[in-house]
Amino acid sequence: MGEEREIGVDSNVCSINRNTPLRNVVHLSERLQIVPQQEATGSIPRRPFGKSGLTISALGFGGHHLGDAESAQDAARIVSEAVDGGISFFDNCWEYHRGKSEVWMGGGLKGKRDKVFLMTKACTHGRDKNLALQMLEESLNRLQTDHLDLWQIHGVSFDNDPELFIRPNGAAEALEQAKRQGKVRFVGFTGHKNPAIHLKMLATGFPFDSVQMPLNAFDATFLSFQSKVLPELNKRGIAVLGMKPLSGHGDAVQKGVLTAEEALRYAMSLPVTTTITGMESLEILRQNLKVAQGFQPMNPHEMKELEARCRPYAADGRFELYKTSLKFDNPEARLSHQFPLDDQQAEVKEMMKATENTGRAFPKN
Amino acid sequence: MQINDDVSRRVFLGAMAMSVATTAAGQTGSVPRRKLGKTDVEVSALGVGGFHLGGAKDQAEATEIVHQAMDAGINFFDNCWEYHDGVSEERMGIALEGRRKDAVLMTKVCTHGRDKKVAMRMLEESLRRLRTDYLDVWQIHEVVYWNDPDLIFAPDRAAEALLEAKKQGKVRFVGFTGHKDPEIHLKMLSHDFPFDTVQMPLNCFDASFRSFETQVLPEAIRRGIAPLGMKSMGGSGEMIKHGGVTPGEALRYAMSLPVATTISGMDSLTVLQQNLAIVRGFKPLSSQEMTSLRERCQELASDGRLELFKTTTMYDGAEGRKQHQYPDAEKLPA
Repeated sequence: MGEEREIGVDSNVCSINRNTPLRNVVHLSERLQIVPQQEATGSIPRRPFGKSGLTISALGFGGHHLGDAESAQDAARIVSEAVDGGISFFDNCWEYHRGKSEVWMGGGLKGKRDKVFLMTKACTHGRDKNLALQMLEESLNRLQTDHLDLWQIHGVSFDNDPELFIRPNGAAEALEQAKRQGKVRFVGFTGHKNPAIHLKMLATGFPFDSVQMPLNAFDATFLSFQSKVLPELNKRGIAVLGMKPLSGHGDAVQKGVLTAEEALRYAMSLPVTTTITGMESLEILRQNLKVAQGFQPMNPHEMKELEARCRPYAADGRFELYKTSLKFDNPEARLSHQFPLDDQQAEVKEMMKATENTGRAFPKN
Repeated sequence: MQINDDVSRRVFLGAMAMSVATTAAGQTGSVPRRKLGKTDVEVSALGVGGFHLGGAKDQAEATEIVHQAMDAGINFFDNCWEYHDGVSEERMGIALEGRRKDAVLMTKVCTHGRDKKVAMRMLEESLRRLRTDYLDVWQIHEVVYWNDPDLIFAPDRAAEALLEAKKQGKVRFVGFTGHKDPEIHLKMLSHDFPFDTVQMPLNCFDASFRSFETQVLPEAIRRGIAPLGMKSMGGSGEMIKHGGVTPGEALRYAMSLPVATTISGMDSLTVLQQNLAIVRGFKPLSSQEMTSLRERCQELASDGRLELFKTTTMYDGAEGRKQHQYPDAEKLPA
């Protein structure tokens, strides 16, 4: 702890992994601004969203899992209780459950839209600006709103995605245009594959407000976003949105390597704006709220200990299959890059159903 | 010699490939022979891949493929302990009966982190199936997981097995193979272990994407380790089916690189004959031809869609998945 004190970071506020090089620690000290904004025990801390002057809840509501809820009514109840519990950040994506996640979230947020910071994502995967803008209109419709707080490029997973994003008539122009038109306030991107691809996106020079990436105790030592991308974002003042705190589907928790609470606390203890996690039931929402309300970050020693425990399992990526396989790459990403589809994926099954197994393109909704 | 500039390095490689092949091609119409690294062994520039042999119709066809290949001048035969649960080795063993000494026979061991004892047991099984008492080359199979190098070089693991087998005279040369990422290969090489061979994907798409050609091949050559090329057409012909290159272009590109041999799977006599037609009296591509082919392939190369062995789990075998606790191919197809 003395180590952090020396450079003026209060580890109760912003826990820093001892492995973090000093160079980065200095940048992290900028996050001291969290201090005054962190609320008293019992509520979910709010943290600054980049340089915007806004704050959002340190726990974010993942949109994909909402589509796994029992029904639209259940989904609405989960969303409503999440808002009441102090979650203000809501994540979604144009292709989650082929639109169902957005529709259900839109229903759940009825009358509450102004209480939340709403994000969704466009699934261009290298394709044109116009496709992105068309997806934006569909997302706004489904979410029953006239603007997004944050619009991100989804699934930047392939090595050439950054070039395709920044090319003339690419998705970068859609982000700019949507912002100019006031349809979105902030823009960013997300991906789960490789830190090098994220760095390539940053190297395009595009003025991103946020970047989303997997951050968890396994990532700490394997093809690590935490060590390669996080410090760079902190340095640039770009809002960091952590995801996959349970490293995807929670296999490591099921196998007893760590508990869900440890996993979530670890992710939230990193210098991030929020940690997005899926909650498909009230039970899971309540578990998460228990961790997040009155959240106290892990101290550096606890973090290091957890990393050490996870390290042997982290080293071949068995619990981070999003980095080493196509498993987490949704059909839009695979189709636009002509990679094989997975007929077990929810979106693919729904695609086949929606097109009566003909392979016809998705009918417009 | 260290040439950092990419362009001049490629020209250098191209020129080197040419000199290798023209000196070795010898008589027109035959399959050229090349030196296997620093060893005194000469291998055919085209090698028969063992995996596809297990996919041939039956033993009779497998035998015929091996015999016709040998008659045409091919002497390098690849295999692996886990191919088709041993069927590939068994078929090759039967086919090579009576001709063993004319073959440079390689197979691979599938420890994936397990200890030396397991490797030595697999070696005995491979020898029995291949109906021989020695291997010319024994390689560590499928070094594709990021911690494989650490596991292989841990005390009492696979690296020690290679040395022991060599000492016992059961294998003449040793190496490793993998299809995932040049960085993993470089990590293996950084141990300064006396590898004789290193196998890797080499093709006209690889040159522009997570490239073994630009990152690993020069390092292997610098160390005097014989490079063995594989996946010249993408592993299952992806580059032919979807990449706009002909089998001739793909195979000639791979063989024009400074490698000892290019291993190609042939599950029928038709494929063997097709390959032989390309390889007989083989003349390497000029460096301009290679550059222009690389450029043609560059766009489709840039997301790895035709090199699925690098970007998905489709080519990762059952044994490795099991040891690394990855889901099996049914649960995690790609």
